[in-house]
Amino acid sequence: MRLLSYMGQWKSAAKEVLDRTAIVAKFLCLLHVTNNYLCSPTLVYGPSMLPTLNLTGDVVLAEHVSHRIGKVGTGDVVLVRSPVDPRRILTKRVVGMEGDTVSFYVDPMYSQTTVVPKGHVWIQGDNTYASSDSRHFGSVPYGLIQGKVFFRESNELRITRF
Amino acid sequence: MVGLIGRLWNLQYKSIVKEASGKTLAVAKFFCILHVTNTYLCTFALAYGPSMIPTFNLTGDMFLAERLSIKFGKVGPGDIVLLRSPESPRKVMAKRLLGLESHSVTYVVDPMNSDRCDTIVVPKGHVWVEGDNIYNSRDSRQFGPVPYSLLEGKVFCKIWPPKEFGSLMKSGMKDPDL
Repeated sequence: MRLLSYMGQWKSAAKEVLDRTAIVAKFLCLLHVTNNYLCSPTLVYGPSMLPTLNLTGDVVLAEHVSHRIGKVGTGDVVLVRSPVDPRRILTKRVVGMEGDTVSFYVDPMYSQTTVVPKGHVWIQGDNTYASSDSRHFGSVPYGLIQGKVFFRESNELRITRF
Repeated sequence: MVGLIGRLWNLQYKSIVKEASGKTLAVAKFFCILHVTNTYLCTFALAYGPSMIPTFNLTGDMFLAERLSIKFGKVGPGDIVLLRSPESPRKVMAKRLLGLESHSVTYVVDPMNSDRCDTIVVPKGHVWVEGDNIYNSRDSRQFGPVPYSLLEGKVFCKIWPPKEFGSLMKSGMKDPDL
């Protein structure tokens, strides 16, 4: 008798847990879809994009639609997966698209010129003195671009538009 | 009178809209699950072209590719992988992985015209891919080592044509006597 009542209670508790989990799962799915295909806030840090982005970290909004429809161009700040370390995502500016001729300083006396090959982009950090970018690892395939940054939420309540 | 007709119309309209939205939601949920499975678990793809003869036919073979190995780094030389082309970002191609980062790969530079071989050490974060049919394949010998992040999936099973159904062995060369 007691056992039956316990089982009944357990069943209803299990059902409630399942319902709640389903709601949480649906919310996480929606969040995940929005983050991957629409727009996502990202924390970026490091010295390579000074003065545009802070050293200690900035929350930026990046949208993930432009790079799928080919609307990324010169001058855009993009999130790109590092060709040297596949687990890292870098924030750099696109300086040249495929077919463009790019000149850069390898060291203060010596400049080099390259043509960006088909299907690639040339990315550079705004702070050329402290940035590891296409000047070191070459042009990057367009397929590695993950998103385009369009908004920065600064710590001082000042919202800057790019 | 007009008010009554208005109310009746509202009722019908409401139930139609409710049913339509219910069915649309069910279809949307199904597509979501399909999309999640395709993107994160397993997908099937159709490959055509001469670069992977004899493993894949010229006119097109369907196969299953799984996405988990790439994310966990469990691919190795000998696997057939799907990767996004570094030359045309909208194209996905199937090639065989021949070398991971820091591997030393020896390849025939131009098999149609000469037997000259070259050796290269694959840089960090990159992989070397080649088609099985080196006479007619555009691969790392032309566009260089490919960043690991461009890999999209690992092919593990061929499903069409039915008489060639089965898992794809690592060796890549089908024994004609079997």
